[in-house]
Amino acid sequence: MLEQMAELVDPLYLPGPQAVLGAFIDANRCLVVDENSGRTVCGVQNYYLWEHLIASLQRIGVGVALAAVLGIALGALMSMWEPANTAFAPFLNFLRALPPLGYIGLIIVWVGIGDTSKYLLLFLAAFPPIVIATIDGVRGVREDYLSAARSMGASSPQMARFVVLPAATASIFSGVRLAVGFAWTTVVAAELNNGIPGIGGLAYISGTQLNTALTIACIIVIGLVALALDGAIRWVGDRLVPWHGKV
Amino acid sequence: MNRTAIDSVDSAADSAVVSLDGVSQRFVTDSGDVVHALAETDLTIPQGQFVCVVGPSGCGKTTLLKIIAGFLEPTGGTARYRGQDITEPGAERGVVFQQPNLFPWFSVRENVALGMRMRKVGKKERSQKAQEYLDLVGLGDFGEAKPYELSGGMQQRAQIARVLANETDVILMDEPFGALDAITRARLQADLLSIQRKQHRTVFFITHDVDEAVFLGDRVLVMSARPGRVVLDQEVTLSSQAGRVLGEEMRRLPEFIELRERVAGAIEH
Ligand SMILES: Nc1ncnc2c1ncn2[C@@H]1O[C@H](COP(=O)(O)OP(=O)(O)OP(=O)(O)O)[C@@H](O)[C@H]1O
Ligand SMILES: [Mg+2]
Repeated sequence: MLEQMAELVDPLYLPGPQAVLGAFIDANRCLVVDENSGRTVCGVQNYYLWEHLIASLQRIGVGVALAAVLGIALGALMSMWEPANTAFAPFLNFLRALPPLGYIGLIIVWVGIGDTSKYLLLFLAAFPPIVIATIDGVRGVREDYLSAARSMGASSPQMARFVVLPAATASIFSGVRLAVGFAWTTVVAAELNNGIPGIGGLAYISGTQLNTALTIACIIVIGLVALALDGAIRWVGDRLVPWHGKV
Repeated sequence: MNRTAIDSVDSAADSAVVSLDGVSQRFVTDSGDVVHALAETDLTIPQGQFVCVVGPSGCGKTTLLKIIAGFLEPTGGTARYRGQDITEPGAERGVVFQQPNLFPWFSVRENVALGMRMRKVGKKERSQKAQEYLDLVGLGDFGEAKPYELSGGMQQRAQIARVLANETDVILMDEPFGALDAITRARLQADLLSIQRKQHRTVFFITHDVDEAVFLGDRVLVMSARPGRVVLDQEVTLSSQAGRVLGEEMRRLPEFIELRERVAGAIEH
């Protein structure tokens, strides 16, 4: 009895690499579950694992894209117009301190359990770092760049286009990188309810069903994809801002 | 034109490109100390004059330039450009900064052409003119390079091309040749002089180098520190003779040597 329990408990807490790999493979293929009827099950929770991943990536994409558009706009406004800064800064800092798990319930009550609540949560997680990075970027433009452009006769729109925006790009990009990171850490909370398909939802549900091998497989996938995505954003950033660190 | 003496005095005042009237500057430092960077200063610069400013480090040369450029509002007095109070920078007052500050997101050529782009000059024309000025400063082959791919001295030359290409009325230069080797420096000095003479530009030129000041200037201002003020306002009569054309030989003229000594002597005090 005791021996059996030890055998049972051990892999449940920490399944071996083989079990994790097995769970990963099974989650990406169809399995015959009933020899007699020939009934097959494809993936888990009716979706392959990669479909879960795509669903989450898409949510993160929408949330971060929205956060980028609105965040850069608000950041630009706040950095150039002090009243806007005074008005919005406290809300941003308040929002930044909130744990997404703490208010997901509220958001579901407000906008429903569908994808809107997930977009909104991811948006709220990604928004503050982008706003703050934009403000830092715009305020941090070298004074002598501004002076040079002004004594070349730049109008305000020309100033924004030829000097401020390019100069702030590096900072804005690191804000987006941070935002994507926050979005990943929020994706499980966003997919706690009605989160299938979704890799965060799958990680959570498989855990509640004691399918820890699959949970760990999901976590590893999330980690690796996040890493790859960060690398891709950095790659784009390096190409957009080749002078970074050189001036 | 045939003018009476009084008329020409009037027209001299009228044609003043830059005039400072009791301009002074105090800074409050971060630690709360008050620095009297510039004592009350009167200065009139007529059209086409090449004014050189020399003085020890920290005597307020850059401060004076920033006031004329419109980067700094003086704490006392008024600065005027062609009779108008200077309240902000303008395209008619181009600045070559002490530190190179080309925009790294543009190529060298785009940097030089940016002022024209802002004035909506056509692409072809501005690129042609940019090339002209790049050739002039010896950077003809570096138009496509990025500023950070150039040496410090090359960046400084590109900065000069940027201001010249903008064809500003007044050129304000803050130790533009400080980082250059003797040969490049001599060449650029000669080129700057010939452009200035040809286009009748007004130049305000800061330097540490007494020799350079006397060589280039129609007029040399010597400043001293704490508070910064002009202690010598020396006309350089050599320049009105064809002396400039002599180039290097001019530096060996007895008059040149005497002027240089007078200016150097004023700095000592
Ligand atoms: N923003 C500032 N705040 C406080 N003090 C300042 C500021 N700018 C300049 N000063 C002071 O004003 C004085 C004159 O400075 P300025 O830059 O005009 O000197 P400079 O003659 O150009 O010197 P250098 O030859 O070293 O460039 C210095 O004593 C400097 O410390
Ligand atoms: Mg200086």
